[in-house]
Amino acid sequence: MNRIIGFFLVLTLVWACSSDSGSDDTVIVDPVDKVSFERSTMLINWADNIIIPSYEAFSTDLDLLIDSFDTFKEDSNEDNLIKFRSSWMNAYISWQRVAMFEIGPAETVGFQLNMNIYPTNTDNIDGFITTGTYDLSLSSNRSSKGFPALDYLLNGLGEDDASILAFYSAGDKDALFMYTEDVLLDMKSLTDTVLSDWTEGYRDTFVANDGASSTASVDRMVNDYIFYYEKYLRAGKMGIPLGVFSGAPLPENVEAYYKGTISADLFLEGLNAVQDFFNGKHFNSETEGESLASYLDALNTVKDGEDLSALINAQFNTARDLIQDLSSFREEIENNNTPTAMFLAYDEVQKAVPMLKVDMVSAMSISIDFVDADGD
Amino acid sequence: MNKYFLAFTAIAGLSLTSCSSDDDSLELSPCDNCFVEFEVPDSYVFTRNGVSTVSFDGQTTRIKMGQELLSNFNIPTNTLDDLNGMFAHVEGDIDFEEAALNESDKSLRSKVAASADYFSTNATDQAIIRGDLDGFISAQITDVYPNWDVAATAGTAGQLADGESTRYVNANGLEYNQMFAKSLIGSLMTDQILNNYLSTAVLDEVDNVANNDADVVEEGKDYTTMEHKWDEAYGYAYGLNADQANPNADLGADSFLNEYIERANGDSDFEGIADDIFDAYKLGRAAIVAKDYDIRDLQAEIIKANISKVIAIRAVYYLQNGKTKLEGESPNIGGAFHAMSEAYGFIYSLQFTRKPNSADPYFTKEEVDAFLIDLLDDGDNGLWNVESTTLDSISEDIAARFDFTVAQAAE
Repeated sequence: MNRIIGFFLVLTLVWACSSDSGSDDTVIVDPVDKVSFERSTMLINWADNIIIPSYEAFSTDLDLLIDSFDTFKEDSNEDNLIKFRSSWMNAYISWQRVAMFEIGPAETVGFQLNMNIYPTNTDNIDGFITTGTYDLSLSSNRSSKGFPALDYLLNGLGEDDASILAFYSAGDKDALFMYTEDVLLDMKSLTDTVLSDWTEGYRDTFVANDGASSTASVDRMVNDYIFYYEKYLRAGKMGIPLGVFSGAPLPENVEAYYKGTISADLFLEGLNAVQDFFNGKHFNSETEGESLASYLDALNTVKDGEDLSALINAQFNTARDLIQDLSSFREEIENNNTPTAMFLAYDEVQKAVPMLKVDMVSAMSISIDFVDADGD
Repeated sequence: MNKYFLAFTAIAGLSLTSCSSDDDSLELSPCDNCFVEFEVPDSYVFTRNGVSTVSFDGQTTRIKMGQELLSNFNIPTNTLDDLNGMFAHVEGDIDFEEAALNESDKSLRSKVAASADYFSTNATDQAIIRGDLDGFISAQITDVYPNWDVAATAGTAGQLADGESTRYVNANGLEYNQMFAKSLIGSLMTDQILNNYLSTAVLDEVDNVANNDADVVEEGKDYTTMEHKWDEAYGYAYGLNADQANPNADLGADSFLNEYIERANGDSDFEGIADDIFDAYKLGRAAIVAKDYDIRDLQAEIIKANISKVIAIRAVYYLQNGKTKLEGESPNIGGAFHAMSEAYGFIYSLQFTRKPNSADPYFTKEEVDAFLIDLLDDGDNGLWNVESTTLDSISEDIAARFDFTVAQAAE
């Protein structure tokens, strides 16, 4: 027994020594210093061509949503309800383009969790409308506002448009309008703060912090990006409602549950945003700038004989193909005893996680700063 | 098979010694364990005439009471009587959801700061400590519940976001539920185990040794008193595990000591501490059956050292975790205060730790009180003003009395 331990000790020592001496002949390149890739160029591309334009477009779509609400409030007919709903869907799609940027101003205000916690707390919302007493800035009320609350208010109050309209025509409709408007104004105010912070200062801070350390912009953005992919896109939109983590499906945890038909579209837009960001594709354009993909190429990162950037793109594409063939997530989960097709798609989404979280970050010498459980 | 196992245990015990020998640690001579030649089961199963002699329902009951109290702490419709009823239950009162708890004659509060070694002649500190825990409950009702729907700021109680969670803090940023739960780990579980049931004052009380030597069981029971005392020490650590003979299979079964043995064990720097604790419990119990009290006492010392260490590791962990969350561009204040409230409770619990082969805790009550004052006196508003140098200096002071570094505990 002791001899075995001794043997292992010797082995360990030998291994430790040889690994040190090995680094003399195998030149280990410090990717940041030795490879001709400028992190700052990538940061500028991210900020100026992706992040800020995405926020601007989202802000515009949110304004349009508020406009269509105002129209509906003035004249609460079915046509205006449908337009209001359609603006909500537009803005919700647009949101998928900014949700991953939970850094700087967005992180400070808790943008993601203030805009899009679902399932929404309908008991709270009903109570707030009845009492008229609420403070939407409280963290305990984050699950009673944002896009999911609007989903309930637009799609969940009744079975069809006529019965939903009835709520907006009833004697106590003012309270309902008031709450809906307060939810919209809260979203608007958060969005204005985030966008103006970016354009009035944070953009320069972000770009200037171009080093390589756990607090540098690239390292933090990559962490936030992977966290978004793993937690919000993979788990939030698919895994949790599928029951991957709980064992039983939870269809009511689908994004835009009350609308029912758009959850896969929201996911796909999120996936597109993730892939476009990976490739440094400018917002609403085919032009590509410096990106995680070009960074990996500059580092010449190869896995199993293939470029890692190509492998990651191929994985995103495979996942997209499978999801495009699905019905809405709510239908997939509610109409199938075992939603096999959605599980298969989920597995393809999951396969990109180790590519990003292990292979990509190790090539870039970035350490992951989050863990799955929060350790209460 | 059993002899190999024992040899291994002896080595484990020795390695523990050598690691911690800088301080007031175990002094094992190499052959203390060498001649153990009695039966040691693979799991915590002990029988007499084919009937189990292991029993610790009282401990399981109290842990369950703690769980219910904890889950009610943050329900702002509760009254002071509701929570006090759960803390200081009286047999027959309807305080709990679970009927069996209502029928029980057990109470949490009566076992807080109640160990033979530390409190049999120290009613003063006992009263002060029970008063502290009473105070956490009453302040939750009077200070925090009224501000449930208010955003907390420096000097004002209320709520703070912490990721997806919401934390409810007092005017100094402290969460009473965390302070209470983590203080209970020390003042109830740790104190009862280390300073009561593993104490020779309890194990060898009156004619326990003679009765154990002669296999004289308690009236109507299958166990000797000494066996039972040891099992009660075991129950405060493992009372809620699904398989109580193999508790490490689902460690983390409660929100108290069991959970934090798991957390400490989950840090690679301390991996194995859960097995060290369980193995010592098992070997010590087997030693009682074999009437080998030296080996029993040796295992008691191993348990004391390791459970004390768990408390210290978690105190440092949460201080450092809180510090990290306050740093950076977008500090997570809610998360930081949550962590530091846990740290508060673990620091509080240090006064109930026990240095092996000694009559003393790793930190005296006075030292603990000084830490807690230090934690909150960087400004007028407690945690709202806490400085990272304060968090570091308390962390260093705690780690210095153990065989680990701040960095090891911080992960």
